[in-house]
Amino acid sequence: MSFYIQLFKKIQTVMHTFYVLDLDHTADVQLHAWGDTLEEAFEQCAVAMFGYMTDLERVQMTQLHHIEAEGHDLESLLFHFLDELLFMFSAEPFIVAKKVKITNFDRENFKISATALGEEFTIGKHTQNAEVKAITYSAMQILDRPESERPELFVIVDI
Amino acid sequence: MVVRQYQEEIKYLEKITETCWRIKKGFQPNMKVEGVFYVNNSLERLMFDELKNSCRPGAVGGFLPGMKQIANVAALPGIVWRSVGLPDVHSGYGFAIGNMAAFDMNDPKSIVSPGGVGFDINCGVRLLRTNLFEEDVLPVKEQLAQSMFDHIPVGVGSKGIIPMNARDLEEALEMGMDWSLREGYIWAEDKEHCEEYGRMLNADSSKVSTRAKKRGLPQLGTLGAGNHYAEIQVVDEIYDKWAACKMGIEEKGQICVMIHSGSRGFGHQVATDALVQMEKAMKRDNIETNDRQLACAHIKSQEGQDYLKAMAAAANFAWVNRSSMTFLSRQAFAKQFQQSPDDLDMHVIYDVSHNIAKIEEHMVEGKQKTLLVHRKGSTRAFPPHHPLIPVDYQLTGQPVLIGGTMGTCSYVLTGTEQAMKETFGSTCHGAGRALSRAKSRRNLDYTDVLEKLERQGISIRVASPKLVMEEAPESYKNVTDVVNTCHAAGISRKCIKLRPIAVIKG
Repeated sequence: MSFYIQLFKKIQTVMHTFYVLDLDHTADVQLHAWGDTLEEAFEQCAVAMFGYMTDLERVQMTQLHHIEAEGHDLESLLFHFLDELLFMFSAEPFIVAKKVKITNFDRENFKISATALGEEFTIGKHTQNAEVKAITYSAMQILDRPESERPELFVIVDI
Repeated sequence: MVVRQYQEEIKYLEKITETCWRIKKGFQPNMKVEGVFYVNNSLERLMFDELKNSCRPGAVGGFLPGMKQIANVAALPGIVWRSVGLPDVHSGYGFAIGNMAAFDMNDPKSIVSPGGVGFDINCGVRLLRTNLFEEDVLPVKEQLAQSMFDHIPVGVGSKGIIPMNARDLEEALEMGMDWSLREGYIWAEDKEHCEEYGRMLNADSSKVSTRAKKRGLPQLGTLGAGNHYAEIQVVDEIYDKWAACKMGIEEKGQICVMIHSGSRGFGHQVATDALVQMEKAMKRDNIETNDRQLACAHIKSQEGQDYLKAMAAAANFAWVNRSSMTFLSRQAFAKQFQQSPDDLDMHVIYDVSHNIAKIEEHMVEGKQKTLLVHRKGSTRAFPPHHPLIPVDYQLTGQPVLIGGTMGTCSYVLTGTEQAMKETFGSTCHGAGRALSRAKSRRNLDYTDVLEKLERQGISIRVASPKLVMEEAPESYKNVTDVVNTCHAAGISRKCIKLRPIAVIKG
């Protein structure tokens, strides 16, 4: 249990480093996230997705949910990571996450273990914003050091 | 993508009629057939501006203009006749939205592509009529809108209220609207006025992932968000009195209910799962496409067959979904007017699918062929006497329902023989976006949008009011332009114009 408390504290110090990019495309929305490490950029990208669905200020962190994601390259890893989190929201346990912490980021085998913190989405308590329906590979970009000064990601989600 | 100057690009384009442009081979590599798109003057400008923007030096973003996407589809293996862009065409994922492409079932190279169907499988529009008139509804309009909003679950995170367990879902996936009928949610006549009679027989729920089922179960009977809506509409204009009569629309002022929704998270998951499978199949079978997003598989391959069966299950899901909301709308009206839905004559006029692939018989250069017709953001529009349309519409042609966007008109058209020849019986599906969501948010204010609707006398109930500017009419192509182009091109005929008086949205 103390592990989780530590995790809570650590996560709460992570700053919001994402925004929903103004992309001039007619059908979808592009998420843009960055961080000090690629791991952090992944985490922020997930939070950006939830931030587009609801106002995160209203979300309390009372529930934990673990997810595992696997890919065959970095792009597919990011895709499946976000897809797992979207699934967590749209089916049992219906959790909307305010913070996401990657506990294991295996870049050799393209595997991620992560913990999402948030609570069950409740209409009335939480605002209903856009509905993210699917993650896409379209124009996906993962920029890591050294090619980019700070690791950053671009993902288009279908809404 | 071939990079050329705009002046070079337009050499590949040729205006062949007042409303139709041809995209010649060579516009994109490996085009097997030509492309065409239907536009009028104002839509034409939008299309060419989009192309011009993509030719600007340093243009980035990874999204191809609609014309390029139409041409890329024309390069897919097994395509016949033409890759067709309808007047509401805009850039989409792989295929353009508003794109029809047909593949020869007897050509072993032919493909099926989830991108050609769209993520929201069997997204479509249903129209119910009533025997009420505007003057009956206006005094209670606000209450009725609220009642509809209370009955129908809308917006992100909403859950269906029709009791369902995992076993019910399996049955619903296999049975489509027959399930809704058995459970008592719809009337037997509803099925009659629905494409495929509300059930695709090749649906196989064992080809659907558990993940899709888990996403689908809580969402069955929910409207969704984005451009989906339920509207109370008034008949504003009747262009074809005889055909309108066949649909039970007698005169101006009559009240209708339009429901625009699809297969929700279920369809999206089916599409996502299929895209992953097909990426592998493409490598294995050496299928080459111009765009990585055009993931596809040979129709006869395991992946192709599995997708068609899962897609059919998703189509059934969408019909059950719209049927559940039909039930809820009937309940809302019945409670408000203290009359049964039957006494209110709340029959389904028709139900169309505008994201689907179907096996159909068509004439290709004088020969009858069995084709897999992909319609993405495109509506089937079969002519009079076609065997696949219901008895009631045998003489008028199939009703085609064109949903407008929040606050604009919607239309009912009928199918024509001309569409059969030119577009394999396909026409437009709606307005089609003109502005990106981001641009709408920058340029419009949500309070202005809501005030404007109020001034027009439209009641609105929306789960996420701060996003209404994304769906404002300014963000879309003008639906009247789109419909007039289809009418002028002869690929469908105008029949009825409907004007909204209440909108329920996610």
